[in-house]
Amino acid sequence: MGSPKGFIQRERAETIYRPIEERIKDYKEVELTLPEEIITGEASRCMECGTPFCHSLGCPLGNLIPEWNDLVYKNKWYEAYLRLELTNNFPEITGRLCPALCETACTLSINRSPVFTRQIERAIAEKAFKEGWITPHPPIHESGKRIAIVGSGPSGLAAAQQLRRMGHRVVVFEKYPKPGGILRYGIPDFKLEKHILERRIKQLIDEGVEFETDVEAGYDVSARYLRKKFDALLIATGSREPRDLDIPGRNLRGIHFALEFLAANNLKVSGEVPQEEAPYIFSLPSAENKKVLVIGGGDTGSDCVGTSLRQGALHITQVEILPKPQEWNNPYNPQWPNWPKILRTSSSHREAEAVGKLTRLWGVMVKSFESLKTERATSDRVGRANFVRVEWKIDQNGRFYPKEIEGSTFSIEADIVLLAMGFLHVRHTTLLKDLKLNYDARGNIETNAYYMTSTPGVFATGDAKTGASLVVRAINHGRRAAEAINRFLYSQ
Amino acid sequence: MLPKEEGLYNPTLHHDSCGVGFLANINGEKTHRVIEKGIQILCNLEHRGAIGGDMKTGDGAGMLTQIPHDFFKKILPFSIPQPGNYGVGFFFLPQEREKREYATQMVEHILKEEGFSVLGWRDVPVNPDSLGEQAREEMPFFKQVFVTLEKTESHRTDPLYLERKLYIARKVMEREALKSGWNLDEFYIPSLSSRKIVYKGMFVSTQFVSFYQDLGDSDFKSALAVVHQRYSTNTFPSWFLAHPFRYIAHNGEINTLKGNINKITAREHTLSSPLFGDDIKKLFPIVNPSLSDSAIFDNVLELLTMGGRSIEHSLMMMVPEAFGSRYHISEDKRAFFEYHAAIMEPWDGPAAITFTDGIKVGAMLDRNGLRPARYIITKSGTALLASEVGVLPFKPEEVLEKGRLAPGKMLIVDTEKRRVIKDNEIKSSISRQKPYRHWLEKNRILLKGLFGPPRSVGTNEKLLPIIQKSFGYTVEDLRKIILPMVENAQEPIGSMGNDTSLAVLSDKPQLLFNYFKQLFAQVTNPPIDPYRENLVMSLMSFVGKEQNLLEETPEHCHQLKLSHPILTNDDIHLLKNSSIRDFRVSTVSILFPTTGHIGSLQRAINSVCREVETRIDSGDSLIILSDRGVTEEKTAIPSLLAISAIHHYLVNRGKRHLAGLVLETGEAREVHHFATLIGYGASAINPYLAFETIIDLKRRGYIDSNLSDEDAIENYITAIKKGLLKIMSKMGVSTIRSYRGAQIFEAIGLSKEFVDKYFTGTSTSIGGIGIEWVEREKLTMHREAFREYSELKKHLEGSSFKGSKEDNQMYSFTSTIQLDSGGRYSYRRNSEKHLFSPEAIVALQRAVRNNDYSSFKEYSTIINDPKKSLCTIRSLLKIKETTPIPIDRVEPIESIMKRFVTSAMSFGSISKEAHEAIALAMNSLGLRSNCGEGGEDEYRFYSKVGGISLNSKIKQVASARFGVTSNYLVNAEELQIKIAQGAKPGEGGQLPGHKVTREIAKVRRSTPGVMLISPPPHHDIYSIEDLAQLIFDLKHGNPNARVSVKLVSELGVGTVAAGVAKGRADTVLISGGDGGTGASPLSSIMHTGTPWEIGLSETNQVLVKSNLRDKIRVQVDGQLKTGRDIIIAALLGAEEFGFATTLLVSLGCVMMRKCHMNTCPVGVATQDPQLRKFFRGKPEHVINFLRFLAMEVREYLANMGFTTLDEIIGRVELLELDRTKLNEKTRDIDLSKVLYKPGIQHSKTSKSKQQHNKNIPHQWLVSDELENKILQQSRDALENKRRVSFTLQIKNSNRAVGATLSAEISRRYKDKGLPEDTIHIKFNGSAGQSFGAFLARGVTLELEGDANDYLGKGLSGGRIIIYPPAGSSFIPERNIIAGNVSLFGATGGEVFINGMAGERFAVRNSGALAVVEGVGDHGCEYMTGGRVIVLGETGVNFAAGMSGGIAYVLDRNQLFDTKCNLEMVDVEHITDLEDEQFLKEYIKKHAELTKSRNAIQILNMWEEIFPLFVKVMPIDYREALKRIKETELEESDNANVTEEVYA
Repeated sequence: MGSPKGFIQRERAETIYRPIEERIKDYKEVELTLPEEIITGEASRCMECGTPFCHSLGCPLGNLIPEWNDLVYKNKWYEAYLRLELTNNFPEITGRLCPALCETACTLSINRSPVFTRQIERAIAEKAFKEGWITPHPPIHESGKRIAIVGSGPSGLAAAQQLRRMGHRVVVFEKYPKPGGILRYGIPDFKLEKHILERRIKQLIDEGVEFETDVEAGYDVSARYLRKKFDALLIATGSREPRDLDIPGRNLRGIHFALEFLAANNLKVSGEVPQEEAPYIFSLPSAENKKVLVIGGGDTGSDCVGTSLRQGALHITQVEILPKPQEWNNPYNPQWPNWPKILRTSSSHREAEAVGKLTRLWGVMVKSFESLKTERATSDRVGRANFVRVEWKIDQNGRFYPKEIEGSTFSIEADIVLLAMGFLHVRHTTLLKDLKLNYDARGNIETNAYYMTSTPGVFATGDAKTGASLVVRAINHGRRAAEAINRFLYSQ
Repeated sequence: MLPKEEGLYNPTLHHDSCGVGFLANINGEKTHRVIEKGIQILCNLEHRGAIGGDMKTGDGAGMLTQIPHDFFKKILPFSIPQPGNYGVGFFFLPQEREKREYATQMVEHILKEEGFSVLGWRDVPVNPDSLGEQAREEMPFFKQVFVTLEKTESHRTDPLYLERKLYIARKVMEREALKSGWNLDEFYIPSLSSRKIVYKGMFVSTQFVSFYQDLGDSDFKSALAVVHQRYSTNTFPSWFLAHPFRYIAHNGEINTLKGNINKITAREHTLSSPLFGDDIKKLFPIVNPSLSDSAIFDNVLELLTMGGRSIEHSLMMMVPEAFGSRYHISEDKRAFFEYHAAIMEPWDGPAAITFTDGIKVGAMLDRNGLRPARYIITKSGTALLASEVGVLPFKPEEVLEKGRLAPGKMLIVDTEKRRVIKDNEIKSSISRQKPYRHWLEKNRILLKGLFGPPRSVGTNEKLLPIIQKSFGYTVEDLRKIILPMVENAQEPIGSMGNDTSLAVLSDKPQLLFNYFKQLFAQVTNPPIDPYRENLVMSLMSFVGKEQNLLEETPEHCHQLKLSHPILTNDDIHLLKNSSIRDFRVSTVSILFPTTGHIGSLQRAINSVCREVETRIDSGDSLIILSDRGVTEEKTAIPSLLAISAIHHYLVNRGKRHLAGLVLETGEAREVHHFATLIGYGASAINPYLAFETIIDLKRRGYIDSNLSDEDAIENYITAIKKGLLKIMSKMGVSTIRSYRGAQIFEAIGLSKEFVDKYFTGTSTSIGGIGIEWVEREKLTMHREAFREYSELKKHLEGSSFKGSKEDNQMYSFTSTIQLDSGGRYSYRRNSEKHLFSPEAIVALQRAVRNNDYSSFKEYSTIINDPKKSLCTIRSLLKIKETTPIPIDRVEPIESIMKRFVTSAMSFGSISKEAHEAIALAMNSLGLRSNCGEGGEDEYRFYSKVGGISLNSKIKQVASARFGVTSNYLVNAEELQIKIAQGAKPGEGGQLPGHKVTREIAKVRRSTPGVMLISPPPHHDIYSIEDLAQLIFDLKHGNPNARVSVKLVSELGVGTVAAGVAKGRADTVLISGGDGGTGASPLSSIMHTGTPWEIGLSETNQVLVKSNLRDKIRVQVDGQLKTGRDIIIAALLGAEEFGFATTLLVSLGCVMMRKCHMNTCPVGVATQDPQLRKFFRGKPEHVINFLRFLAMEVREYLANMGFTTLDEIIGRVELLELDRTKLNEKTRDIDLSKVLYKPGIQHSKTSKSKQQHNKNIPHQWLVSDELENKILQQSRDALENKRRVSFTLQIKNSNRAVGATLSAEISRRYKDKGLPEDTIHIKFNGSAGQSFGAFLARGVTLELEGDANDYLGKGLSGGRIIIYPPAGSSFIPERNIIAGNVSLFGATGGEVFINGMAGERFAVRNSGALAVVEGVGDHGCEYMTGGRVIVLGETGVNFAAGMSGGIAYVLDRNQLFDTKCNLEMVDVEHITDLEDEQFLKEYIKKHAELTKSRNAIQILNMWEEIFPLFVKVMPIDYREALKRIKETELEESDNANVTEEVYA
């Protein structure tokens, strides 16, 4: 436990962001790792609960939060790292990206501000890298078993590391040029600089995980080959089928899926795709001097806001069909220990608002897109979106549905429209078809409790199995899938 | 007769207690008057006995006298020789003629074989009409035989020759009878002696004389008589278990019996004596283990006495007084006791023993002296000793001396020498009869350097975590167990209950220790306070080879003396390398191979046993069993299994006493481990791995670097020592010598076969795993530990991975091998299961806050889900399928809820807000909440919130008696005597000063900022008859309240419950051992007490069997969480159900388990105003919870096809073990004992006692007549506040006089009472127990005579005056006029006593003022307020645990400080004028009221005497008073709970 009365004596530490005027000019991380002395102080607020909800209900990984909080408080960073590493392969990543369900579930969230566990996790991980504690853990013996993992997002990487450490030969197939999946191509650098990812992937490589990048499974290598050459196959391709809009004007130019927009930007930032090849992969315009409309009020939408701003957008409008959530300025969680439905304002929102370039709207539904009529002719580019306001009602089946409010239509001008309305399910690729996998009702890969798909020896994990979710859940599923595969291999 | 072991009933578990006494003509003159008066004593002790379910059968009474020669001569048809030249045998024989004749023939045959001639037989005339039905049914046939022995040479030289031959003959007969398969109901010999004869049987004392007509004959004469009236927790007629036995009558309990029996059995093999020669073999077995503790004690005493020691010498061996350094005793005496410590362990337990060898008659008390023994010596030469004073009236001028036996003391009347011999003379002569001191100095072995400061311990850092894992270490062991012990030198504290799974149901491999639960004392004997009264306790022991018990030689003490049982690594090294003559030490490895098939463990045990035996045969005196050297291929035999297996193997071989067993083990780390190891035979333990762990923790920076390695280890050892004392004290055991091998544990989840083989004599109530699983669990741990290691080793041998060399080093083992979290003390996912999972907490809170039954169902599904929480016995049960009925036919939820109560939670352990929310909730439902032990603020009796009363209807009476006043009692509907608490039964607690806020201090009647201690025992309940007395007192203190007794589930709780029923309580509460606490040592939370399923079932079975089931209601609590729990409890016999933790969770508790830290973040269990602000609970939450529960119960009832809960109570046949829930580990679980249905009709047995509480007729209250007189004569005062004054006679059977009058006053005038002296009652005679109990303000009781125990118990403002009767010639200040434990829990009032009071005067006084002429040991113990003036001597340990109030002692020889316990007080010279004025004023008042000559003399010589007074001032109290004066009471920052904890 931290200090017995630490939680009474001390307020939660504040996040330190780089100044807005500075950060919007680059793609470097917006949030800084807190200094050690602040972190140890923060750790003292942890009460080491008899029933730690952070660890048990909050964190999908079951991180031993009270244990490492206590160790950090006692300045035992190395031991803290060892306890952290027991459950989390990539704490430096969750320490940056996680919405921190642990904090939502923290006992202190019942009536005051939770322990800043995400920052503590991040600090431990950063310290571990700095001190050189994070080293490869190659397996001591080789099992002789071979596993192919398709997809190198958080779930695939976690599974890869776990399986490799168990002594199996692991080959990860990634269709993009570099491993990382959504972490590399989806998350903007201002939330996760890519060298953070690189150093982790280096560890995996040093442990003996093999990456086959620029190889699309089912296309560059056949399902049959994979089945033949590997003892087990793990599908970790994520949930990449975006939700689309079937409305007039959808096919106008300038309307893009958010992830494509973000990926293109990440490629540009990293410079990993030569400029001349970029159009081949993503033929996307920049938001520079454009009016941007983001449809969808979630995290991806927020990332679009931050990215557009940095690209030099004139103005950004973010719309959400759901009603505006309750504004909540108290430090505690009104729906403890669950994820509360409250208005969230990201650093991207804050910075865009600070420079007066953001409008956020809720309870509006887009009805159509149209181009702006120029003098010459009708353009094929989007120029305006038409909306109607909605209110939410319950139908006979108890389901919520949006009811349009009469006479509430309005329009917004937009040069670029980004669709960030979430994802439907895993992409139903040739690979999956060739493997003859069953899908569940939502279109994701169906598995049993042991992560095995309808095809024996083929496993699925992460968003491909569950639908789009959090990085931390993906890691958890990757770890558990690895255990399941290991058990499967030894039961053969 | 005693029923057989059936279900959970075990006939060896009954307890008895009682009244004892003796009467003697000091000059040895034999008179019939002795018999007559003896019977009178018995009759006057009747209230200390009990009667059974048929309301007529007494538990037994009896009398031992000299052979009434004149009587026999007169009535026998044959002639008998001169007195002393013949023997008389008294036989209990079968009624059936044929069997009886066979028996008499056998007796005659054996007598002849042994050289006797039979003079004749006599049928003893009896009158069975007076007996109870049960007693009559079981009545034996009574015969006496008369025998002589041919005169020989030895006959002339040895006065005991005939006695010894008779002894041998009797033992032969007993053995023969046993061989013939006769039980003791069929063949029993009360006495066969040339000196003594025993008349006894199954009756109450009043039936005695009419039953045995012999005793009424005027020629039936004796110079001495020993009498006994029994109160047994059983009601099974058992004629032979009545006292006296052949040598003793005993009021007490031998707690260490199993160990004593094992040890005496082992010693048989080296027993020899020229007095017996070859006949010695005929004496075996020395003891019959199926007898009672007292009878077995008698057997051994007889052996020692017949073996050549005098009876007093033998008793000094068996029940040694405390001889620790704190006692000021002679060196020779100390040496005597130390020498004998090497020969025999104490037979430990509370004991008042009257004894006789036929010539000498005497009595003694054990070292704790908790049973009363008062004596009177008259001028005319009568000596009388009895449990109470007043059993025989004497004229004041006849009395030469009035006294009481002090703890450990003895008194003898020698009718040959015609003298009364006192303790000092007896003991000094015996301790000097041999040069014990020289023998000791020359022969005892003190290894040089042993127990020196430990030097640093080497650790193998590289392997340490692996070895730790192999022994099952977890992070919790390190951080939550070992670290706090190192830091604070005491056991760690925790809070809330234990909701993890039973060891046998856990998915995680368990240490064998976890299958054993510590037993503890409740009711039938008191626990000891190991902190305040540790002077009576001792961890010293001898180890080595024991010699012939019947001899005394210097060699007997040639053993190693250990001052305590924890050996450092240096110690063990020294031992291994010692070279002492005739004291060889050898080491035997207790490792076993991990590579073989299952069965290796058993083979290893067999071979270790044989190896140890070989070493002993070759003469080794000390065997070190070592599990050092664990490798991948070899792991340790579980240390507990190793020690117990070897111990029992050696006991069976008769070799156990030939060598000491010492363990060198990596397994032991927490206190419970050490206790079990010692309890199963280890003499000492070296926990090397715990030491290495400490050093490692130090290295890793967990331990303050200012604490040296040596001190860290020293602290850890200190913590273990304290913990051992605490665990021993829980059972009332004082010395480690008798605790060793006493097996004071019960097993849960181990198979009977396994236990019988390796833990012989231990009870296992639910069966379970055997040796194969023990082996598998051990191997699982071991393999897990070595898994990575072996891989790495292989790897390093042929390294080939890609990392650099540095990486390789970085990836070193030590740093990366991680221990498991543990998850016992804090929840961890994937670790130990907890019933209250986070999901369950959230669901319950959602349910009660939103009044949402579906969430509640979600909650109860989580709790009941066997996949998630197969934690409890009930989770293994299935309710048999029956035909459902529509739910609307089931009784409404309101009627179900009537059976719900809250379990005790004190204001102090939880916040005011939480406490009041619960009271409001219960009162608005018309149910009863329980105020807990902390008292209750008076305002709550009368205040309402929204029309709902704040008053808790159940008021608890716990050991500290906080706030227990007359007014408190009358404002209750139920008074609950808390004997034990599930989380820490047998332990006391303490509320640290900084938690004693103004509010709490007010309620608990103490001073803010002053620490409050709850003693482990109720100082007015040392035995079952005392409990009956307290029940009696409370019923008088509030005749309208029902009285309940809270017990904790453990082996034997059923028989205690039967005793409670016989004590006329209305309700008995069986509390599960895993219930919650505000603070308690972790080991107590985890390892003491059993689940309620077992205790409840046992209680129901025993009550039914004893025909007592309809006399009492049965309530249950402890981790009750869902409707299903209630249904199962009802089926097992419970009628009412208590809830606590679930209510707190409903009010916002999130199972932080930080109550003891005062940092509850939701304001539930904290006194911190900052945190209390966060309390969000509402009474509705509790109401919703209880309604949901009732709804769920109702659904179950409908499904089961019953319309009321009442119908299913005790219907255990509706339950069965659900085999589908069993797995490989649990497949042998056997619940048949729990599910046993006693064979009596349902209708009779499970009768609901719902109406039982109202208007119980009180005709059984002996004092009623007197009390009614008092009420009548006080009417004017009661109604009109007019002064009244009158005089009455009183005798010792008038008990709790004044309590009912006080209740009347409190009801009318509340706490304020009447103006001083409004009612003045003068009494003449000997007052019974609890004279002036709860006496209210405005009453004066003036007693000319004397008083028994518990004078002024709970005094609530009244005044008591006692002085000797006019005409007394003895010196008052040297004679006992008031018994033990006066003013217990007094809160106000005044007491003036012209005479001495016994032990524990003013214990837990928090406000009364007393003047007394002298007090016994432990005066002013735990006092928190009030003033006590002692005008004379005090005993030892004065002011122990005294945290408040002031005592003034006249210290004439200025040695008082040597008798005072200075831990918490200072002894000051009085300088303050205020003090002087106060003293003078009250001594003056004392002189006026009592005519004390002593006081008058002091006043006359004030200038000379005043300077001799000292003032005893509690240190904290002084500080607190100072602070109050400065009016700034600041709370200190941290809740650092020390030593013990509060409730």
